[in-house]
Amino acid sequence: MADTGLGVRNLKVVFPCPGGVIRAVEGIDLDIHRGECATLVGESGCGKSVSALAIMRLLNTPPAVCRVDKLWLDDLDLTHLPDRQMRRIRGKHMAMIFQDAMTALNPVMTVGKQIDEIYLRHSQLSRREARQRTIEALELVGIPEARSRANSYPHQLSGGMRQRVLIAMAFACVPKLIIADEPTTALDVTIQAQVLDVLKNMQLVHRVSALLITHDLSVVANMADTVYVMYAGKIVERAAMQELFLEPLHPYTHGLLASVPRISDERQPFVQIPGAVPHPMRKPAGCYFHPRCPRSNDLCRQRMPRLEGPDDGRAVRCWHPLRQPHEVRS
Amino acid sequence: MKRSYLIKRILYAVFIFFVVLTLNFFIPRIGVHDPAERYYPPQGGMSDIEYEIIKQFTREQYGFDVSTFQQYVRYLRGLLRFDLGTSLRPGSPKVTALIGQRLPWTLVLSVSTLVISLVTGLLFGTMAAWKRGRWQDTLLLNASTISVALPSFFIALMLSFYLGFRLELFPAYTNPNMVAQFHWSWDAIRMVFTNAALPIMSMSLGGIISYSQTTRNSVIAVTNEDYVVTARAKGLSQATVLYKHVLRNALLPLATRIGMNIGGLIGGAIIIEQVFNWPGMGTLFLEASSTKDYPLMMGIMLFLSAFAILANLVTELLYVILDPRVTVGEKR
Amino acid sequence: MSKEGVLLLVAQRGGSLLSFVGKLWQHPQGRLGLILAGCLVLVAILSPILAPYDPYDVTQRAAKGLRPSWQHLLGTTTTTGQDIFSMLIYGSRVSLPIGIGTGVAIAFLGAVMGVMAGYLGGFVDNLIMRVVDILLVIPTLPLIIVLTSLFGRSYFVIVLVFVIFGWPGLARVIRSLVLVLKNTNYVKAAELAGASRWYIMTKHILPGTSHLIIMNTALTSAGIMVAEAGLSFLGLGDPTAISWGKMLAEAQGGGALLFGAWWWIIAPGIGIFLSVFSFMRIGIAMEEIFNPRMKASSSIYKLFKHLNNTYLDEVFRSMEEEESVVREPPDRSDAPTPEGCHG
Repeated sequence: MADTGLGVRNLKVVFPCPGGVIRAVEGIDLDIHRGECATLVGESGCGKSVSALAIMRLLNTPPAVCRVDKLWLDDLDLTHLPDRQMRRIRGKHMAMIFQDAMTALNPVMTVGKQIDEIYLRHSQLSRREARQRTIEALELVGIPEARSRANSYPHQLSGGMRQRVLIAMAFACVPKLIIADEPTTALDVTIQAQVLDVLKNMQLVHRVSALLITHDLSVVANMADTVYVMYAGKIVERAAMQELFLEPLHPYTHGLLASVPRISDERQPFVQIPGAVPHPMRKPAGCYFHPRCPRSNDLCRQRMPRLEGPDDGRAVRCWHPLRQPHEVRS
Repeated sequence: MKRSYLIKRILYAVFIFFVVLTLNFFIPRIGVHDPAERYYPPQGGMSDIEYEIIKQFTREQYGFDVSTFQQYVRYLRGLLRFDLGTSLRPGSPKVTALIGQRLPWTLVLSVSTLVISLVTGLLFGTMAAWKRGRWQDTLLLNASTISVALPSFFIALMLSFYLGFRLELFPAYTNPNMVAQFHWSWDAIRMVFTNAALPIMSMSLGGIISYSQTTRNSVIAVTNEDYVVTARAKGLSQATVLYKHVLRNALLPLATRIGMNIGGLIGGAIIIEQVFNWPGMGTLFLEASSTKDYPLMMGIMLFLSAFAILANLVTELLYVILDPRVTVGEKR
Repeated sequence: MSKEGVLLLVAQRGGSLLSFVGKLWQHPQGRLGLILAGCLVLVAILSPILAPYDPYDVTQRAAKGLRPSWQHLLGTTTTTGQDIFSMLIYGSRVSLPIGIGTGVAIAFLGAVMGVMAGYLGGFVDNLIMRVVDILLVIPTLPLIIVLTSLFGRSYFVIVLVFVIFGWPGLARVIRSLVLVLKNTNYVKAAELAGASRWYIMTKHILPGTSHLIIMNTALTSAGIMVAEAGLSFLGLGDPTAISWGKMLAEAQGGGALLFGAWWWIIAPGIGIFLSVFSFMRIGIAMEEIFNPRMKASSSIYKLFKHLNNTYLDEVFRSMEEEESVVREPPDRSDAPTPEGCHG
């Protein structure tokens, strides 16, 4: 019971606006076990970041409207938790790492103070003790001269260091779950690798569950245990990382993997998925991917497929997957 | 590194002050060949010779008998001693003395207005931002659009009419004995504030609404920033998020606004003082202008300009202190 | 600037001006502002026709201090028997030309200076900005008092001071924008193509700032009208002209407060209010047009107030997974669907 990790059932998020409704997330389910790293993959606009904020219950009701059947973290039922209690959980048991470290940090507060306040809020430490823990946290993520660096302002640090500060902030209270929203997108490739290492390390050492949101498949390959592929607000495939890469079942996943250019490729034209992601207010009838899918037929144009597959294994949402999920299970 | 910036700004302010005081010196001398004629315009029934003698007297008395350049030097020397000249009033009081007498009275109005506008504005503004879209916010918006189009002296007249004459809550004209009878007692202080009530109300109404609107916009803009989401994601209490994260950032642009307003604090009271006949710098200035008391007029002008320059300087420096992102150097 | 340069300037502004009026008309607030401003301009032009009496007529001793009636819609002054309603109408002939005229003059000067400072940079920039700093520091109201004392009371002095001390504010704002525009690709491309600096400034930079200029002009005109009212109140304007500010001063001096002649005070106040209000509406509407983000966010709140719960439920229900359909063995053939539903 205590190790159930994160569970999300039927999460939906919409944004009403003058012309209609933006259907950002259309009923997704997630299961992340203790210590597991799950990734949510998809192109921009597929609803991944919104899902993350919704799980943390950080979406404000104007402009968003969220519904969820069940949301739990270990033995905490978060579904209808009032905000006051949710605040005790955020930062302590659930934490988030945002994409853009420059804007995610308060520009007029030193980074040290921004980490101190987490300790001061969630534990009974004195100011001095909190600062000590802050310095340890900064050292843990590999920031040199942590004691003096803690008194810097965000704009005085490099991009990679800022990201590490965000990681330190998230891991400060050793939460049960970390949600990382595109933690490396804004960074150089070399720094990316370092930051991901730190993340992986922290995750392994403290047995923290992680939900990693990204559109970068190399990050997925590096970090993920389980992969959820998202398209236009719905989960279209769920698989263990290696299985996904070896044998994608959904045509979209297949297209994504094929479109990553590899140095070893012989001189071949780039593979692309034709068309574009549907507008969140005007989604097609039937399966959302059918306009771009080489395997679509009338059924796909009329009916949205269900997410099918053995309970804890692969699943795919497609009328004509490349292979049936139960066939793949070895 | 910050110290050199400080020195640079101070020097620049001094430079501007210098230009301003030079302008101040030359303005009364524009288009007039003989300043003595300004100070003592020709009167009927005087022969030319008599007039010449009088002009010579005037020149000697007011120092026009030397060359313009020497007058300028004398003027500068005077300034170093804080001597702004001698008024043309009977008794030839020093300009500095006159200013010293009336300035505190203007400050009573200006400082009270500033404090009231600021505090109330911040409170209303933050509330309007927090309760966005509800009636408090719409009320503020409507109040803004209307109050901006109503000049403060019109509001002053309306208040004077309704609260002063009709309802007789406050005196519509300042009691002429207020200054003479003043001493440091509760009674006298109460009388001062009763007389000051209407002027302060007239001046602060616009200020309250303007500060509220600015605060509201600033708070809303900041609340949409990522770091506020981060703060909430850390599970911080609502109070912490509001004070440490939202307000700390939202009040920064307000500081510059306040600074600019302080510069015009004293001069802005001129019209209101006139409406209520309040014995401050404003009425002093108007008296000087109607009696063509040039030394007094220019002295006050210089004082006001110096005050504005100082206010600007302090605001700039304050901003550098408050916002760690501002790197010293060129900020233009 | 060469003659062609000036013409280009006016042409650029002229063309874009019409399109602005069009956009303003679409905007509900802007339309209000335009209509009001238009009416006021008409009143100013048609004053002799609209005013029932000659407002300058001070000979009507018998008609002093009359209360409002059908003959004198707003009564008469206590001091001279002038018809207040006619005075109100004629007052527009002072405020509107001064406000609009000064606004336009400031727009011109401020834009030229701002563009030159921003684009040419270096010594020109420095020089202009120093002048700006100095001008911004001098308090204008006291200065006008001094100058009218020296040179006599007239609106010419007032307008001159407004223009001289008004352009720095605009110049600064325009300059910041120009600094941004300077680095855009199309400007750089024009520079590389060998266009002269004048050309770039007039054909590329200036049109880019036109929305800012117009918005600023509307707001500045509004501000000037308030300031002019204040100055006329102090008696610094032309003593022979009728202006709303002066009416307020006369009202106070003529005992309107004592005798309860509130209409004498309210009338010019409304005149000032309407003229300032209309121009502010125009300015704010322009700002919303060019900065749609602020407007959009507040309308979302209104949207939420009227949001129907059943509508939302519908939306959410449509996202549910379909009822379980017995899966045919995968044979790639088009199985006919019993009822077609949309996902």
